[in-house]
Amino acid sequence: MSTRITTGMITRGVLSDLNNASNRLAKTQMKASSGKEITRPSDDPFKTSRAMALRTSREGTRQYQRTIADARGWQETAEQALGTMTNDVQRVQALVIQAGSDVMDQESRNGILAEVRQITEGLKQEANASYRGRYVFGGTATDKPPYQAGATDAYGGNPDQIFRQVGPGVALPVNLTGDQVLGSGGADGKLLSVLRDIETHLTAGDTASLRSGDLDGLNKNLDLLLNRRADNGAMSNRLEAAESRLQQIEETETTMLSNTEDADIARTMIDFSSQSAAYQAALKSGANIIQPSLMDFLR
Amino acid sequence: MPISSFYGLQTSLRGLLAQQRSLDTTAHNISNASTPGYSRQEAVLTAARASDIPAGMLQSGGGAQLGSGVEVQAYRRIRDNFLDLQYRGQFTSLSEQQARSDSLQRVELTSGEPGDTGINTLLGEYWNAWSDLADAPDEQAAQSALLQKSASLADAFSAFRSQLVGAQQDAQAEYDDLTQSSLVTGVPGEIESTAREIANLNDTIMKFTTAGDIPNDLMDKRDMLLDKLAGYGQTSITHNADGSVDVVFGGDVTSPKLVQGSSYSWSGSPAWAPGGPGGRLGGLLSLASPTGGTIQGYIDELDTVADQVVTSTNAALAGPGSPPNPPVAGPFWDPTKTGAGNLAFAPGLDRTTLGGGPSAPASDNTAALRVAALRGGVGDQRYRALIARMGTEVTDANRKTNNMQALADSINDRRESVAGVALDEEMSNLVRFQRAYQASSRAMSTLDEMLDVLINRTGKVGL
Repeated sequence: MSTRITTGMITRGVLSDLNNASNRLAKTQMKASSGKEITRPSDDPFKTSRAMALRTSREGTRQYQRTIADARGWQETAEQALGTMTNDVQRVQALVIQAGSDVMDQESRNGILAEVRQITEGLKQEANASYRGRYVFGGTATDKPPYQAGATDAYGGNPDQIFRQVGPGVALPVNLTGDQVLGSGGADGKLLSVLRDIETHLTAGDTASLRSGDLDGLNKNLDLLLNRRADNGAMSNRLEAAESRLQQIEETETTMLSNTEDADIARTMIDFSSQSAAYQAALKSGANIIQPSLMDFLR
Repeated sequence: MPISSFYGLQTSLRGLLAQQRSLDTTAHNISNASTPGYSRQEAVLTAARASDIPAGMLQSGGGAQLGSGVEVQAYRRIRDNFLDLQYRGQFTSLSEQQARSDSLQRVELTSGEPGDTGINTLLGEYWNAWSDLADAPDEQAAQSALLQKSASLADAFSAFRSQLVGAQQDAQAEYDDLTQSSLVTGVPGEIESTAREIANLNDTIMKFTTAGDIPNDLMDKRDMLLDKLAGYGQTSITHNADGSVDVVFGGDVTSPKLVQGSSYSWSGSPAWAPGGPGGRLGGLLSLASPTGGTIQGYIDELDTVADQVVTSTNAALAGPGSPPNPPVAGPFWDPTKTGAGNLAFAPGLDRTTLGGGPSAPASDNTAALRVAALRGGVGDQRYRALIARMGTEVTDANRKTNNMQALADSINDRRESVAGVALDEEMSNLVRFQRAYQASSRAMSTLDEMLDVLINRTGKVGL
């Protein structure tokens, strides 16, 4: 027995086909207008979870880049201060060599003494360099100047390192402490104590000490200063390397995110036109099937 | 026994009447072509009892039977009970998945994922705020931003949770509405009122059936109610000889039958058999159940995610260097408030206490760094897994709904194919019965002419 096709069946069939076609069309239309392949988790649970993971990690990458920008500003400040310090120490070196000569009279030495005092003060000021309101050479005690102007040479900061997170699980130190560079006064053999010695010896006209011990101490501290600058430079390089790596990562993540959740517009448009053609065909055939009946042919 | 001259008139009359009844039935079918649940009917014609010609009356000496025309034996509705059974089974499963799919789709939308407003994004911003604080632990802007981002995160957790709870309550409320009993609340639920209608119809149908009638249209109505009932839960239906049906509802065989003859019994949601009632009720239960329900699973998992954020943040802050733990003194989140709906800052925490106290160095960021390093950790992962699970379950429910819809449609088509009204067919029947009617009336005219000759012309020779 062949199936009876009843009016109800035809109507239901046509309706459900039209409904399916317009559902597909609406979905494609949503893809085209939002530009997204996934607009809700059930569109593709796996891709949704991947897109979310990519967003989280891209957000992190951007944050690391901001941190690096901040850390580089910090280090540039330190680098400038260290550069000035190097020049100052080299100037002192020249002055000490000059003053170490036995033919120089005390009057001239007093002139040199005045300049060395100026430079010492200047060095301490450089060591009080700040970035965004924080003293960069003060360890973690960035709210207090590491050195006081005047005769007190004690280091006012702490020896703690400040770290910046520049990648997942990667934290780099960004600071040098003042006592590593200038020392804390007293007889610690660091720059400030050597300078104070020089001042004493200049006052006393002790050319022998100026020539031997002071010059040695100065040379040693200049080397130390240069080493610190090299350290700082190396940190900058690491930050720079990290930054360019992060830029690449961000690009990759953005591309992957787009591949995961963005709609392929060309394909979506093609889908759209073929689906809308199908929809129109369904409409037309539906209209044609439902319309005629035997009544049209009986008198 | 001689045969009456008017015998043929009677035969023709029977033909006329029978064709007329057939035409009436066709008209009934056409009128109900778009009535939901209507089964097409036909007048069952059969040859009328023949007139006996006793033995000896014929020349051969034997007897015979002379046909006396046609009779309507019954008006029959054309329907296949087996297809009804199949359809109801399918409709039960379809309704269950449809309930799940509808509710879960709403739940899924409230998550706001994937997008820029969901918890995933806010979590990212929360970790960012900690990174910013690590970059500038003593900066007021960074401190305020952290507090504000944390509050947004807490709000988002709480909002999503209350949406989930709302969906759970909606499902439960619908379940309660459907299953309520007039014995308990004074208002009958949908199931009870359907059962009552079926019982009432049973009563009427039984009366007609005992009188020998077949109340086709009432039976159609009852079948439609049985379909409706099957949408709410599993039904098993027994047809009785007196025309009534008994209904066992929800696969629950221990409690009294929902409908038995002209009585019904419903005292509210019973203890369902293992596996649940199925149908819409089963779907709603599987969503709303506070133990092992789908939505409860989401809520529990969301609570775990929130707790994870709270405990991991607090634990990272409480690491080496405490007390005090710069930049935050003590816990950040209140550890006594658990669950996604209750996230709150630790008592006494505000921007000024974020600095770790006057004794802490201004730029000590070790604790903040430890918190910032939690980005992308267990909390984020579990939340992603939760969203993926939600997505999968919605996809699953949608797919099942579509499949079952297709199956139910195809069974319904077969049912329609048997019971539905095909207008073309009715049209051709109309022509058929009309022709038969015309022919019967022609036969009657012929007999009339014959009688005219007999009565008016016979015996008038020579007049």
